[in-house]
Amino acid sequence: MSALASVENQNRELARRINEEARSNPASPYAGKFVGIANGQVVTVSEDLDEVVRRLRAVEPDPQKAFCVEAGLDYNQVQDIWSAR
Amino acid sequence: MPRATWPLRNGRPVVSVLLTLAATGHQIGCNLLADTGAGAAHVGFEVLLQENDCHRCGGIPAQGVLLGGAYVGSFPVFVIRVQIPALSFDHYVRAVGVPQVPTGLDGVAAFRFLNRFTYGNFGMPQQFGLET
Repeated sequence: MSALASVENQNRELARRINEEARSNPASPYAGKFVGIANGQVVTVSEDLDEVVRRLRAVEPDPQKAFCVEAGLDYNQVQDIWSAR
Repeated sequence: MPRATWPLRNGRPVVSVLLTLAATGHQIGCNLLADTGAGAAHVGFEVLLQENDCHRCGGIPAQGVLLGGAYVGSFPVFVIRVQIPALSFDHYVRAVGVPQVPTGLDGVAAFRFLNRFTYGNFGMPQQFGLET
């Protein structure tokens, strides 16, 4: 596995755990917030996605090594798109 | 209240936005189908774009989503900058990267995006618009 793929996997796994925590515990500090992750570490937590992106870009300029998650959403629920092609 | 309106395209409502290319910083205009039936108010995305456009805009990966209907399966999501100058709108939003977009358009503005604004035809049946 390449170093980049390893970072991406760490970011995704951390995001998954944060979302799980936020969904099971409404008192979680992450619940309802945007969480910015870079290189497998939480960098910033905010209700403002713009602020999260600013912090992430300051810490890690390579977008592939960063990750965002809105904690508390059910990402396993299918969202319908009714637009015709 | 600032308002931006756009003519219907093939009878369908659209919103025009600007995206910023990561490599050059240049902006590109995109016409998005305004679709209140795309997603719900609290979903993990606001627009749908070609996945390649998400990469060209230097999108930050975000939690992927499962879609049904016109798109079926698991799709990646990226955080990208979207601007509507007439409304002084300049924010990062989450875009689903899809392989195809509606014919003649550059993507879809989903309900969570449209719901940021007051939207409609504002009494002009051949127009669609957003108001802040």
